[in-house]
Amino acid sequence: MFQIGVYLFGFIISCIAGLIATGIYSYFFKAKRNGFILSAALLILIAIASSYLLVINYSMVELGIIRIYPFSLLFVALFAIAMLLVNMLSYSNAKDYPDLPLLFGFSFIGAFAVATAVSILAVFVGLELLTITTSFMILLEGKHRIEAAVKFFLLGSISIAIFAFALSMLLPYDGQLALAAATINPNITGILLLLISMGLFIAAFGFDTALFPFNLWVPDVYEGAPTNITAMLAGFNKKVAFVAMIEVFFLVFFAYRSSFSEVFAVLAVLTMFFGNLVALAQKNVKRMFAYSSIAQAGYILVGIATASQLGLEASIFYIIAHSFMIIGAFAIVLWLESKNIKSIDDYTALGSRNRFAAIALTIFMLSMAGIPPLIGFAGKFLLFSSAISSGMVLLAIIGIINSFISIYYYAKVMNSMYTMKDEKKIKMDHYVMVVVIIVVAVVILFGIYPQPMISIAATASKAILGVS
Amino acid sequence: MIMLPLILIMLVIPIAALVLAILMNGTKARKVIIGSTLINMLITLSIFVSSILSGSVSISEQYPYISSFGVYLGFRINVISMVLLIMSSVVLFATALSGNVEKEHHKLSSALIALFQLAAVGLFTSANLFVFFIFWDIGVIAMFFMINMLGSANRKAAATNFLIYEIFASSMLLLGIMLIYFFTPVHSFDISVITSSAALIPAGKQSLIFIVLFLAFMINMPLFPMHFWLPDAHTEASTQGSMLLSGILTKFGAFGMLMLFAMLPISASYSVYIAVLAAVSAFYAVFLLIHQTDIKRIIAYSTIVEMGVIMLGISAGNAFGTYGAVFAMLSHGLTVALMFLLVGVIKHIFGERNIFALKGTVMKAPYTTYIFIIGALAMIGFPLTSGFIADVLLFIGSVQAFGVFGVVPLAALLLMGAFLYYVISKSMLSSKEYSKTVDYVAIEQKIGYGVLLFFIFIYGILPFAILNLVKI
Repeated sequence: MFQIGVYLFGFIISCIAGLIATGIYSYFFKAKRNGFILSAALLILIAIASSYLLVINYSMVELGIIRIYPFSLLFVALFAIAMLLVNMLSYSNAKDYPDLPLLFGFSFIGAFAVATAVSILAVFVGLELLTITTSFMILLEGKHRIEAAVKFFLLGSISIAIFAFALSMLLPYDGQLALAAATINPNITGILLLLISMGLFIAAFGFDTALFPFNLWVPDVYEGAPTNITAMLAGFNKKVAFVAMIEVFFLVFFAYRSSFSEVFAVLAVLTMFFGNLVALAQKNVKRMFAYSSIAQAGYILVGIATASQLGLEASIFYIIAHSFMIIGAFAIVLWLESKNIKSIDDYTALGSRNRFAAIALTIFMLSMAGIPPLIGFAGKFLLFSSAISSGMVLLAIIGIINSFISIYYYAKVMNSMYTMKDEKKIKMDHYVMVVVIIVVAVVILFGIYPQPMISIAATASKAILGVS
Repeated sequence: MIMLPLILIMLVIPIAALVLAILMNGTKARKVIIGSTLINMLITLSIFVSSILSGSVSISEQYPYISSFGVYLGFRINVISMVLLIMSSVVLFATALSGNVEKEHHKLSSALIALFQLAAVGLFTSANLFVFFIFWDIGVIAMFFMINMLGSANRKAAATNFLIYEIFASSMLLLGIMLIYFFTPVHSFDISVITSSAALIPAGKQSLIFIVLFLAFMINMPLFPMHFWLPDAHTEASTQGSMLLSGILTKFGAFGMLMLFAMLPISASYSVYIAVLAAVSAFYAVFLLIHQTDIKRIIAYSTIVEMGVIMLGISAGNAFGTYGAVFAMLSHGLTVALMFLLVGVIKHIFGERNIFALKGTVMKAPYTTYIFIIGALAMIGFPLTSGFIADVLLFIGSVQAFGVFGVVPLAALLLMGAFLYYVISKSMLSSKEYSKTVDYVAIEQKIGYGVLLFFIFIYGILPFAILNLVKI
């Protein structure tokens, strides 16, 4: 068993190296097709290997800097799958596809570093790597993307700067900057510097995960970026930032959970209301999904705010669920955008123009609104249950009210999609179709039978909290 | 004899029908859905017959689901759920067979009926609040698409309105279920476990749960201040949509109310206020009803009147009131489905639903008109129809609980009956002038009338088939 673990770990590392090599090959030889096949195959292998390690419950610190345990393995697998879906979306739609595999490779290294971090420095480096590569990806399609790229880069830089500042305040108390609670003496609670550091961490992660006061960049960047990269921003980058947030707060600051729990509860409420209420007013579907993903970040935060094992489990579940749902939704938005269908009015009669796309988008939206038996419902059920079980009944009520508000803007899209009108049919791109089918399968199967995913999330959350 | 997992079979059949209906073309999909509703109706009736023979009914099935949360897919059939299953399976069969008067969108309507059938079977057999919630939302979504895609001109606004009210109800339901789960000492979703341990919840928390769940079920039923979605939803829905909406979907809320009153001891202390609300709801709706000119709207408002009366029976809390309400749900589900089918046929034959524009329908469509008259009589509880038994039981229970005032809401039913008499004499029985006919009644609609009427009369003439099981 031990031997297999070490070999598989080495295999994952060499696959990641292979991703970079593929990227370089693809970039210099303009090898679109081969670059795609190689990078997709490597990502699938990474996902399979880390899932296997997760199943055998492998746990070890490798090379002194990479911590392999159920939490990190789960997210390495998730990030590999999410990246694979984004890769498929990009293949037939991005103009300069051969440039992308290299950037995808570096982003994946960033995500891998965050998920497997042993010290906060690795989280820092990972997030930075991800932000910079993503801003290049936004820029790839041409000059009209500059605005979005610059906004993303500037806000990302500010977040990194705040992160560094917060790190520096932590240094006197923990010279190694380790991601472990034991190194901070629990007797020194109430030291102002640590609380300030914690506040700065909240701000830094607030930018990356788009929490309410820090989320003003989101709609512009999401709308301005090419949609395959928007899918990546919402389904990959944001989830990496959430993982970083969970690691920092549940490992380093767990002794201060009563303080950060309240802050996160307030931020969750504000984020949910902001996202949902502004989404009500949107006419452009891509922008609507951008605001809806802000609201969804608020739901994820509900679980983190409870600062309990159950809440963390629920948050992990919802991070996985939302990653799939939003990539699926943006896949359809991406494909329709290439047919010049953008606003809610343009979606009229989509049901008769391409029935499959309409049904799939409906399933994604119902899932995001939390309608059973879809995966979003299972996630929200866990989230709000965890809030009630930690005594935050009001938070649960507000969350439920918010998921009620969200049904209105999804209903607007549905109303317009299912207006019967015979127009010419439109055909869905194959790669988009594959992505959509995968996501629909995940949303329905794990919605009807969520138990496997819940138990994986429970294992991961127990691993990070060190309880069994 | 090997015990078949009957409930599981009844749940799998609509799922299979849904998949087949999506894969097949329109006419085949229609046959599939008629078959699946017929099979479910026969299974339900076989359960009914075996319960008559054995003198009791109690089936329960349990399947593992989310084990880490203690959530099981628990199903049970007791007398109440059996009665509602009979009602829903008959209404679904009649809807699938004859509801599509407009003869369009066979495929879509078949798929949505299959989804709704799944919801109805699952909800009425649920032994577990989690299961109850899941099937509740499936039913709401199926009904939303039924209005949204199959209705008439203003269907979009009506469907959105319906969805907002119903999703608010289901949000409250979810909240209530979670509160119950965490407030009961045993942390369970199982209805019987909650019923036995709910007395241990402090009164303040019980009141909170009661108010939240009451709000959810009240929107669905609907009762007076929350009924605004119903008239528009009915007017804009297709005939099939109206039959299922009024016949079955409104019973979701009433079924939930029955469960809520049996579950929480605190509900007894609210019963007087709720009875007043129910009476207000019935009278309010009947005063709106007598100003309507569209037959479909009239029948839609009659649903609110009937649901007010049913709520009165539930709030009485005694055996007569409760089983009267159950019987009234059976009777109302069958009659209102029949009435909406008739209205759909009349609209199809004469192209008109306004009571002042319809003249002398008895000459052109005698079957439909006479059955409309019988349906109207069944609606106000004429002897020999199931409505009579329902009203007798219900008002006995109401008088037992609230004294003489308990019988006052009967006036709303009588006023409704008087107005229906006016409608019939004004627009149907006049022989001097006729409306123009556009089409004729097809045989499948006649079979639909027959099926619904058969059950209305069978439970009116032989109510003891059910009442012997409960021994009141």
